[in-house]
Amino acid sequence: MNSRIAALAVGAIAIGLVLAQDFAPRTPLYHTWQYALALAIAFAVLLAYANGVRRGDDGVVGKRLLVALAGAGVVIGAGLAAGLLGPDTASVVGTPGTVAPIPALGAAAFFAPADAAAVARGDAAVTLRRRDGAALEVGARGRPLGESLLYLEPRPAAYLEAWDERGAHLTITQPTSASFLSPVLLFRQQQRIGEFDVPYDTFATPALHRVFRALYFTPRDLAAFPRAIDDKTHPAVILYAADDRGAQLGITFAPSGKDVTIAGVRVRATLGTYPALAIAAAPPAWALVAGVALFVAGIGWSAAASRRLSPRNRRRAVVHAD
Amino acid sequence: MLLAGCYSAPDPKSAAGGGPSTLAGAPAQSFDVRRTDGRVDSLAAHRGEVVLMNLWATWCPPCREEMPALQAFARAYAGRVVVLGVDQGEASSVAAAFASERGVTFPILVDESQQYGRTYQGVGLPTTVIVGRDGRVVRGIDGAMTLEQMRVAVAPALAPLAPRRASR
Repeated sequence: MNSRIAALAVGAIAIGLVLAQDFAPRTPLYHTWQYALALAIAFAVLLAYANGVRRGDDGVVGKRLLVALAGAGVVIGAGLAAGLLGPDTASVVGTPGTVAPIPALGAAAFFAPADAAAVARGDAAVTLRRRDGAALEVGARGRPLGESLLYLEPRPAAYLEAWDERGAHLTITQPTSASFLSPVLLFRQQQRIGEFDVPYDTFATPALHRVFRALYFTPRDLAAFPRAIDDKTHPAVILYAADDRGAQLGITFAPSGKDVTIAGVRVRATLGTYPALAIAAAPPAWALVAGVALFVAGIGWSAAASRRLSPRNRRRAVVHAD
Repeated sequence: MLLAGCYSAPDPKSAAGGGPSTLAGAPAQSFDVRRTDGRVDSLAAHRGEVVLMNLWATWCPPCREEMPALQAFARAYAGRVVVLGVDQGEASSVAAAFASERGVTFPILVDESQQYGRTYQGVGLPTTVIVGRDGRVVRGIDGAMTLEQMRVAVAPALAPLAPRRASR
């Protein structure tokens, strides 16, 4: 009886661990050896119980419970395959308004255009369009597609605007990025500063021969800043300005949405997030559905047997007592 | 040095995005923006016509060099090809002053938020996009063009549609 409960509990926990790949896809746990080992141990426990049942240890109830354990085994196998053998989670970082082909999925990702307000809200969408024309809106919660799970990963972003001293709007370019003509910085690189890994990006205002480096600080980072900052509840950037020969021209702190003037350029950086499309290996849906269905059905079937058997067992117990 | 201001990473076509040439055959995205004359214009407003859209900026030396050829092309192909200059990120007054000084007569759209530049994956300036009558991108070209190159670029879009087999 105890071994039956233990096997069921281990099966349920293992199923929960595998389903977590779909419901909490951001956890890096699934590609670790510890995760694979936990599933392998669970599988071994189920096998040990099944072996005991084969020898007649748990009677009819145990035999019927093998159906449930087979279901758990299917789910564990699928989880191991996706977690251990599947590719690591990949992120597709797309410039707002562009299309990124994803050959592995036979699809293209449409990254929605984003203005300053959309970056501040962080609610831009990504739509996946497959070769057959079907469109799939991807959200923060995981969305299975074949043996992959798609979800949006918010990344720091800045929508930039710049003006010269006369107030004329200036072109923003990103000379070191493929998104040359985009005023949206996606902070694809990181710089270690003290205890922080700070995302940074660069942009230029070629009309005035200025090049800027922007370091992105979250409110949490700002809270740890020693200097007095009026507003630590919103993200901010530190801007370093240089001319196009590399001579340093200044440094300034730029809160989100506030105009600052540096090296003769008035800059407004509206900060927030813009999503990247994350593609994670996931157990195939059919395996999860079939495995969980078998698990539930097996428990139900064995419970029915248990109910049928219990009065006879009670009578037998009375006979033995006599 | 001059080109450094007008172009992105050393090998932009190898990076994600792929540059404007990869957009051939895709539906042409359109955004409403103001022209230097104050009217609102867009690519979509010219659906059914062949459009040569040129993304440029006044600070970009190759764009300035290309402008006379673009003006000559606009004149030569008036009535057959709509030429739209789309200034990237600058103030309307700046673009208008430049156009007036250079005798540009085709419409200049002022795309302050650089929506066209982003969407057409401009890896540098100037970028030219030819859009067919069906609203799809025929070609995306990175870099300055000569008048002759412009003629060659629009030729496939101007070619008459293949005649349908006559029914008896």
